[in-house]
Amino acid sequence: MKPKTGDFNRAAASALADADVQRNMRGLYDGFHMARERAAEATPNWEDLRDRARAVKAHTIEYLDHYLGMAAENVERAGGKVFFAKDADEASRYILDLAAARGVKTVIKSKSMLSEEMGLNARLEEAGVEPVETDLGEYLIQLRGETPYHIVAPALHLSKEQVADLLQEEIGGPRYERAEDLTAAAREQLRGKFFEADMGITGANFLVAETGTLVLVTNEGNGRMCTSMPKVHVAIMGMEKVVPSMEDMGMFLRLLIRSATGQRLSSYVTLVNGVRRDDDVDGPEEFHLVVVDNGRSKMLADPALREALYCLRCGACLNACPVYRKVGGHSYGWVYSGPIGAVVSPMLTSLPDAKDLPYASSLCGACREVCPVRIDIPRMLLHMRSDLAEGGPHSGSPRASLAERLTMKAWRLAVARPWMLRLANRLARLAQRPLVKDGRLRKLPPPLSAWTRHRTFPAVASRPFRDRWRSELRKSRRDG
Amino acid sequence: MADRQAFMASIRRALGRDAPGASVQPPSETALSLDPADLDARARAAANDASERSDELMDALARSAASAGWKVARVSTLEEAAGYIRSAALDVEAKTVVRSAHELLDSMGIDAALANVGIRAETMTAGDESGREALRETAFHAEMGVTGADYAIAETGSVALLARAEVSRLVALLPPAHVAVVERAIVLPSLDELFTLRRGAFYDGNLGSYMNIITGPSRSADIEQTLVTGVHGPGEVHMVLLE
Repeated sequence: MKPKTGDFNRAAASALADADVQRNMRGLYDGFHMARERAAEATPNWEDLRDRARAVKAHTIEYLDHYLGMAAENVERAGGKVFFAKDADEASRYILDLAAARGVKTVIKSKSMLSEEMGLNARLEEAGVEPVETDLGEYLIQLRGETPYHIVAPALHLSKEQVADLLQEEIGGPRYERAEDLTAAAREQLRGKFFEADMGITGANFLVAETGTLVLVTNEGNGRMCTSMPKVHVAIMGMEKVVPSMEDMGMFLRLLIRSATGQRLSSYVTLVNGVRRDDDVDGPEEFHLVVVDNGRSKMLADPALREALYCLRCGACLNACPVYRKVGGHSYGWVYSGPIGAVVSPMLTSLPDAKDLPYASSLCGACREVCPVRIDIPRMLLHMRSDLAEGGPHSGSPRASLAERLTMKAWRLAVARPWMLRLANRLARLAQRPLVKDGRLRKLPPPLSAWTRHRTFPAVASRPFRDRWRSELRKSRRDG
Repeated sequence: MADRQAFMASIRRALGRDAPGASVQPPSETALSLDPADLDARARAAANDASERSDELMDALARSAASAGWKVARVSTLEEAAGYIRSAALDVEAKTVVRSAHELLDSMGIDAALANVGIRAETMTAGDESGREALRETAFHAEMGVTGADYAIAETGSVALLARAEVSRLVALLPPAHVAVVERAIVLPSLDELFTLRRGAFYDGNLGSYMNIITGPSRSADIEQTLVTGVHGPGEVHMVLLE
């Protein structure tokens, strides 16, 4: 999947101008966000849960090799196979080889952001295997050849009319209007696929190291289909998804689900331990777990970005973000969107190609407020901005231009020395004279012109604050 | 194994722990999680607590289940339970009902109760490969699936079903309606007790292959955030609470 992360400004402008998109995103705040608020309110010790979950994630990531090793052993003990893939290509090749070896023609898939990241569907198609997304939203965006619009609601941007056209074109038959009928049509279409498929591919919400248990959270039931119907089940998982103990699951499920949709629990939480046992009535004969790095170790290696790996992918930061709610998911140009996407997408692809994403935020902190594991996203965005400006390890480029650096150096000198600041003030007052109109600077000359493209600046005051402060102080002493 | 060693080495490098002899063991196996040494005591305490508070938990379950979208029926006898299931099957005009081999269902005489009104009841049990194919077909065409439950959770309004010998994963999945029968003795206060017991099962060596926690009907809000039930799983779900 070729990232379009460099296209943020243009894509955001077009989303802002699109009345349908704006209308479809209106429910994010009143729906998802407020449901989260109510659920958090209703959960005893919610704030303590967040603290503890954060501590457990921090600990697990600190000993990631240990816990992944433990998880792998336990998956193998339950009859599963584990493959560690350093990148998307290795992971895809493992799955393609397996599909070829088992003569797989059709794969049913349950929603996985990692699969999107790997561009797995395209790889399967090239190899002559039909991938069928079975989460309703994923199915719709697969038909449209798009990336998910939202971590939890992939087809959020589509109107009922668009869905109606899409399904009629794909399935034929009548054009349905209501969400119920559209869903029923998709259900019928996908039912046959569940029976045909020789392989089911799922993501992973958690992997319990201690027991080797894969945990999947779904609402539609397609995850259960994918883990019960085909003979082969493949789970793909970002390496950060491992958690230590089964007894952590109550806490993590509460935090994930209530932050995502506000439900007390999703309709289905499915726990998979390897393959069907000999006396089980049904279930897959093979279970493969593919653990994927694909750039995650870049975040692991930078202590300032490591906490991005605590993310549970609940989507709460998207719903809370005033920028996401306007520019929408596709503006971010890749698989992950919103505040966490602005951190993760550049790190998993390339920061220099995604220079605008760390700036796609007003740093208001709403994302940090709602994050179930208290990830400090604004701090990380600032870190990435400074990495870009200072030519840091992720920037892939030399430092900012000489002119910019000299300007910033001069600024630093001046603000630390009162006489220089006074002098600069005086010079600025002189220099701005031809530019001021009604007390505002409306158009600055290059190289400062970008600052006034979308706004005006107040002119430098004829009497600086410092002078006014001094005289007020004097006056009050005299009067007092 | 080569993939694993290289992978782990790169993690250690990223964490700055690649110096020879650097420890990879955390200070303790479970670190911040609950100590497995006290697991038995915790599991016993959970079971005792649940049985002492069973009245309260049944009430709480009835409320949380209803708000999660279950149709909740409270019955006091097995006959009543069978009667409820029969009328639910008649309501969906069922011709075939598939059921799990839970003993509870045997003891309520569910097959006879359904046969009396001309509904065929099929028990999904283990068989060979071709038997499994046939079972899938049967479950696919059945109008209703009936199961017992291994646990129920008062906090969330859920039932937990273990796939194990003689209990199919598909009974509560393929038909458009599902009835779960819950006995008082299996109701737990919250998810925490459930996972304590499951962790205990792992250390006892009988975790099994699968557990499914079901909370209400299959649902989606993927089209304009409009809630729709009955996407891939059952759209109609009943919880029968047996006093």
